[in-house]
Amino acid sequence: MFELLKSMIKEEWRIHTTIFGGVMFALFPLLIATYSFLGCLFYPLFLTILPVKQLILIVHYLFVFFGLSIGGFGLLGREFMNRRFGQASLLAYSSRTLPVSEKFIFLNFFIKDVLYYFALWILPFIIGFAFAIPVLNISFIYALTALISVTLSFLLGLSFMFLISTLYAHIGKIILLLGLLLIIGLAIIIDYNVSVLEILPSFSFVMSPSITPLITSIIIILALCSVSLFYLKVDYPTEQRFYNNAFKMKLPFKSPFLLKDFLDLDRSEGGLAKVLFSFLFPLLIVWVILFVFLKFVPIGNFLLIFSIFLGLVSSTIYNWVTEFDTFSSYSFLPIKASTVIKNKIKSYILLNSVSAIIFVIILLWTGSFSYALPALFAAISISAYSLAVTIYLGGLYPNILLYNARILFAYILSIMPILSLACTVSLLWPNYLLLSPLLIPLALGILWLSYKKWDSVEQPNY
Amino acid sequence: MEFNKGDIILSEVIELKGVTKKFGKLVAVNNVSLSIRKGEFFGLLGPNGSGKTTTIKILTGQIKPNSGHVKVLGVDVLRNPVGVREVVGIIPEQETPPSFLTAEEYLHLVCKIRVLKDIGEKCDYWFKFLEFEDSRNVLCKDLSRGTRQKLMFAQAFIHSPNIAFIDEPLINLDPVIQKKVKDYLLDYVKKGNTIFFSTHILEVAQELCTKVGIIHNGRIIYEGPVKKNVSLEKIFLEKVGKDNHV
Ligand SMILES: Nc1ncnc2c1ncn2[C@@H]1O[C@H](COP(=O)(O)OP(=O)(O)OP(=O)(O)O)[C@@H](O)[C@H]1O
Ligand SMILES: [Mg+2]
Repeated sequence: MFELLKSMIKEEWRIHTTIFGGVMFALFPLLIATYSFLGCLFYPLFLTILPVKQLILIVHYLFVFFGLSIGGFGLLGREFMNRRFGQASLLAYSSRTLPVSEKFIFLNFFIKDVLYYFALWILPFIIGFAFAIPVLNISFIYALTALISVTLSFLLGLSFMFLISTLYAHIGKIILLLGLLLIIGLAIIIDYNVSVLEILPSFSFVMSPSITPLITSIIIILALCSVSLFYLKVDYPTEQRFYNNAFKMKLPFKSPFLLKDFLDLDRSEGGLAKVLFSFLFPLLIVWVILFVFLKFVPIGNFLLIFSIFLGLVSSTIYNWVTEFDTFSSYSFLPIKASTVIKNKIKSYILLNSVSAIIFVIILLWTGSFSYALPALFAAISISAYSLAVTIYLGGLYPNILLYNARILFAYILSIMPILSLACTVSLLWPNYLLLSPLLIPLALGILWLSYKKWDSVEQPNY
Repeated sequence: MEFNKGDIILSEVIELKGVTKKFGKLVAVNNVSLSIRKGEFFGLLGPNGSGKTTTIKILTGQIKPNSGHVKVLGVDVLRNPVGVREVVGIIPEQETPPSFLTAEEYLHLVCKIRVLKDIGEKCDYWFKFLEFEDSRNVLCKDLSRGTRQKLMFAQAFIHSPNIAFIDEPLINLDPVIQKKVKDYLLDYVKKGNTIFFSTHILEVAQELCTKVGIIHNGRIIYEGPVKKNVSLEKIFLEKVGKDNHV
């Protein structure tokens, strides 16, 4: 019964460790634990600027978001793994050769995902928190309640995303449109009345521990999961897909790589909309946090801080344009890794028109026109800088390499100071953000180094 | 050394000197020296894991050796790996075309990367020649293995290179296409082009190659011409067997 689950977990572990090297990958949870420990130590500091209730609310939503993104990763992960390892090599795809039903296999697959990512991300986080308890001077019972409630938040996010992915399998891309409307609707409701956010049952549980919100959370999680499991559709890519030659189209740009990136994103599971989504979700979270934060501590300008984070989040578009491509399909052609990277940057710039639209919307919404220029400069410069750092560290495989503890650490070390500096400047001397384009020569320098770096190493065969 | 058409006629077009490649402790290619002349159909034979694919990757600048010199068509491969891949054709062992392009789009992309003209006609020719026109518009990830192999064959020869490096190209092809491909390769060599061919199917090597090298544990243990009346299989078993017992 548990044999399959065990083998799947082993398989997942082996995939990750062969990619990153065992030790580095094992360090990853340790790193998360350390961060959460340090983060918790700053807790009293946060409390001086933010009421405890709001802080707890924000943390819980972070965990909901976390569950959502891991669920989303599972949704897209299938195609991703498929491309990288070939169908037959994954246990989940071998049901045809195993004497068990497909539903059973996918149930195992889901449980494996939950356990695996729980162990990889949530557990270390909780352990870090647990270590901080003695320092924080909070009661053990309270800490335990908090642990339960953040775990519930995570599971709420995860099971909600699981439902979405089942719905997606049934009704297709319409779900993405519905999701978009949902996000916009939520944003409007939150803007109208922030306290809507407090509906989250796991949050009610930690605020006033009692059996009702606990049971409510568990029932919601179980309901979402069982509905999705019951209607689970095992969609094998059974039909061959046909397309007319897109390279014959007349296009405003010349680079065949740009077109290829576009086709990859469009034809893979979720289509182009998935980029929009993975982009809007974190921004919504930033938006909510900032919104709540600034409501209680009105010390900064919303547009300015939001733009800084917009810059950071926009750099993740690069992860998408590299996601469905692998250098091994070019390695035998007369082309350098740096050429491929340069073309990825073009795709990145093109797709970032979304960020421009979001910037304009937020500008209009806040009406902070006097800060339009510093905000714009900050967004662009931070995006360029984070992109350069991502490329230097992750090359053509940021999604894979950033799981390596050492690389992730270097990434955070390079991004955090700049981000903190920008935030501080935005709070104290907003107009000095006009100087943020100073980051651009730095970014270009890093890019130049990256080209040299990635041309001189052998590209791995992921 | 500059590439000069006149020089080539009787001289070596592929040269390896003292090439060694290590993967950690494993010495995958051990002090290999080889030279191959224009018009040769060279077969690199060897058991599984003996270093054939690694040798091809070194020759085409896809991986850097730890030591040694490599020249292909007069181009120093270590200095100019992209330059080598511009002039040769390569059928890799296991790399597959990108998942989300169709077969035709992939050939198109290759032509664009190689800056070729008359792309449409070139594609048409290969789809027809290898008999997979019905798969033109199918996504590469949905193609059968044999069809993918055909596509990889087409991309290697689409720019009419003078040298082709081919790593086990026949394995998944059906007998009809195999025959066609073999004839194509023989004709290709007859026209003065050169083939570097890796395989462990000895009958194929016997049938096609003019010269073979046997590689075992990363070292070349035999090099010589292929003769009709001398069985390659016998040579292979003898040399590899002997090598195993030293
Ligand atoms: N990237 C790599 N990292 C580590 N070891 C490698 C790598 N590539 C090849 N090897 C090892 O080098 C040795 C030679 O491999 P190679 O692929 O060249 O063999 P081959 O002769 O092509 O074998 P086959 O007939 O099975 O294709 C093998 O032991 C292999 O495991
Ligand atoms: Mg091989």
